[in-house]
Amino acid sequence: MTDTDDLTDDTGVCRRGSTTSASAVRRFGARYGGRCISASVVERKEDVFLAIRELARAKLRFILLGGAIGLLVFLILFQQALLGGLITQFIGALRNQSATVLVYGSDARRNLEGSRVDPSTVDAVRAVDGVADAGPLGQGTFTARADGALADATLLGYRLGGPGRPTSLNAGRLPETDFEAVVSDGDSSKGFTLGRSVTIEPDGRAIRIVGVATDARYSATPTLFVSYATYEAARTTANPDAGPITPSAVAVTVDADGDPGAVAGRITAQVPGTEALTRDEAISSSPGVSSVQQSFYVILGLFYIVVPLVAGLFFLIITFQKADTLTLLRALGARPSMLIRNLLAQVVVVVLGGVVLATALLAGAAQGTKSIGVKVDPTAIGVTTAVVLGLALISSLAAIRRVLAIDPLRAVTGKDVLG
Amino acid sequence: MKLALRELRRRPSRFAVAAGVLTLIVVLLSFLGGLLDGLFLGSTGALSAQRADVFVYSANSRDSFLRSRIEPDVRAEVAAVEGVDTVGGLGIGLLTAAVPGQQDPADVALIGFEQPATGIPAPPPDGQAFADRRLETAGVRVGQTLEIGRSRTPIRVVGWVRDSNYLLQGGLWVNADTWRATVSAARPDLRVADGVMQVLVVSGSGTPASLAERIDAATAGATRSLSRDDAILSIPGTKEQRSTFLQIIFTTLAVAAMVIGLFFSLLTLERTGLYGVLKALGSSSRQLFGGVVAQAVLVTVVALVIGEILTIGLTAIAPSSIPIELTASRSAFVAVGMLAASVAGSVVSLRRVVRIDPASAIGTSS
Repeated sequence: MTDTDDLTDDTGVCRRGSTTSASAVRRFGARYGGRCISASVVERKEDVFLAIRELARAKLRFILLGGAIGLLVFLILFQQALLGGLITQFIGALRNQSATVLVYGSDARRNLEGSRVDPSTVDAVRAVDGVADAGPLGQGTFTARADGALADATLLGYRLGGPGRPTSLNAGRLPETDFEAVVSDGDSSKGFTLGRSVTIEPDGRAIRIVGVATDARYSATPTLFVSYATYEAARTTANPDAGPITPSAVAVTVDADGDPGAVAGRITAQVPGTEALTRDEAISSSPGVSSVQQSFYVILGLFYIVVPLVAGLFFLIITFQKADTLTLLRALGARPSMLIRNLLAQVVVVVLGGVVLATALLAGAAQGTKSIGVKVDPTAIGVTTAVVLGLALISSLAAIRRVLAIDPLRAVTGKDVLG
Repeated sequence: MKLALRELRRRPSRFAVAAGVLTLIVVLLSFLGGLLDGLFLGSTGALSAQRADVFVYSANSRDSFLRSRIEPDVRAEVAAVEGVDTVGGLGIGLLTAAVPGQQDPADVALIGFEQPATGIPAPPPDGQAFADRRLETAGVRVGQTLEIGRSRTPIRVVGWVRDSNYLLQGGLWVNADTWRATVSAARPDLRVADGVMQVLVVSGSGTPASLAERIDAATAGATRSLSRDDAILSIPGTKEQRSTFLQIIFTTLAVAAMVIGLFFSLLTLERTGLYGVLKALGSSSRQLFGGVVAQAVLVTVVALVIGEILTIGLTAIAPSSIPIELTASRSAFVAVGMLAASVAGSVVSLRRVVRIDPASAIGTSS
């Protein structure tokens, strides 16, 4: 460490004329980043470690900056994960079922929960050109008794073997008779476990769980894929006053070479009282999904603006503070490119440090929010890191401009260098 | 302290960037808070408006309005409980309504009620409804006849009410008979028999908790009674939404504190020499640090004012599908949080200010 003797005394002021180091130091003991460095550093002008060493010396400042950036990146990552998790929680069952077109009642506002179609609609839809198969789909939220305790459960009733069966089975098998079910995963602690039975309150018949499907919840409740008859029975159990039970929607698969969008258009046009949507349309227009998405995008956008502003502001200020030292370095022959490299190296280190902190926080938060499906997604972290790093580098342009504006001549003429 | 304020006045540009960042953070906080309030109120308004002490659900409903059913005999048992003054029924159906002259139907929460609530007068006659102002954006006007659900049951809007929605669907308040008839026609699978309501709203003497306990005991476990606050939080998603948003809001406040800490510690560093001189001239650490805090607070106040104005503007141009609700209490919360963050952030500079040695002012440059 002969070239970086810390010449700071208790008051944080450089002792010039120190006898402990090279002659350059005696002449040019200077402040760099709030600490004193010896000028012999300058002689090794390619020393990129200067930037790193400054980080180590001015710990508090860089920890604060890294911490602020870390928290902001964490918030961005957390909200992205939350958004993805929430949406999967709400419409996972729609995404992971076999029907590529869903036919709602035209007054349903594209909401499965609020949709009802006449039973005759199923046959009418099946007759439409391009439809391979069509079957009734019933959806309802019920109070179920699982493992002795009451729990919310969504039932999705479909014609066994027909459209609407779960496609993300990870254990067990599909239901083959009435009162068998495939359950969404993640709720085994509530008794929704392979091999167990659940009943619909108050006095429904036991529904045996024969399979488990990944990411298949609906409305953030445990979801059971059952036969349509099982769904009808559950409706009557839950409300003995109920009139005739009608399907919520018609689940449709299209011909092998068919285009779901075109088929959906034909169904809407040809079958009165219906609005047919492709699976993707049904997902994105589910209640809440679009408004939640928009709200989150606005918030994420604002966070993305704050990160580079904070980083840019910080580096601009420390560049101003180091102006004397930088002038001196330039006068001693350091090329602007070297100073800029140092600056950019610091930006990268600080941002990456922040990302590491953010990832750690996210991993912790994901443990606490498993129930709402927050997962640590490496791709999202990678993309966010790249964007944040890019924005931070762009925002450091202000500091770079300041570095380029330094006139080495001032080291000789300006009285602001050595007082 | 005077010096600190003078610096702010003379060289405002020096603080502009920090103020800008803080302004953005204020916008973020206000927006997040407004969204939380909007989602919360839009989901719970119908329940918050009730004047009841206790909400009585059927025991197997899992506190879900839509799944609860209270039969007339249970209702009689509840009414007979000691200390119960009034018992009213409440029922909600989530349906759609065709609006005259509009292509798209509107999402409505058809709410059957028996007793007036805050801002909602006594139930209107059969076939008539009070509509929530929220429905105005869907094209609903007073005097119109809406057609509810697939059965196209006509209901005439006779007046406006406010903050009375349920699960972000516009409240349409009708009397109990109209509610039963309309829900049964529009959704046969949800049909409600005569005299049945979903939930009872009860007011009476004693604490809500003891009243709830007495009611559940009297019905031998056929009911589950909740205080109003618990009933509001039992609406699906409400609790999770609130805790998630509050986490984000508090983390954002921590970022604000760090930004302030960062900025003012840099500024303090820059002034090390100056502070040494001031100390040599007799200023105390307390005075100098007071100046730093005063500057931090003032910069924050400026950011708060600009941030609030920006938020109001942003809210005005935001699409109506984003349910933002700006309230005075939320603004106060943001202001207090930001001021606390500014003081907390400036404490970072305290150590440095205290450590400055007035002797350094003499003989050395810095």
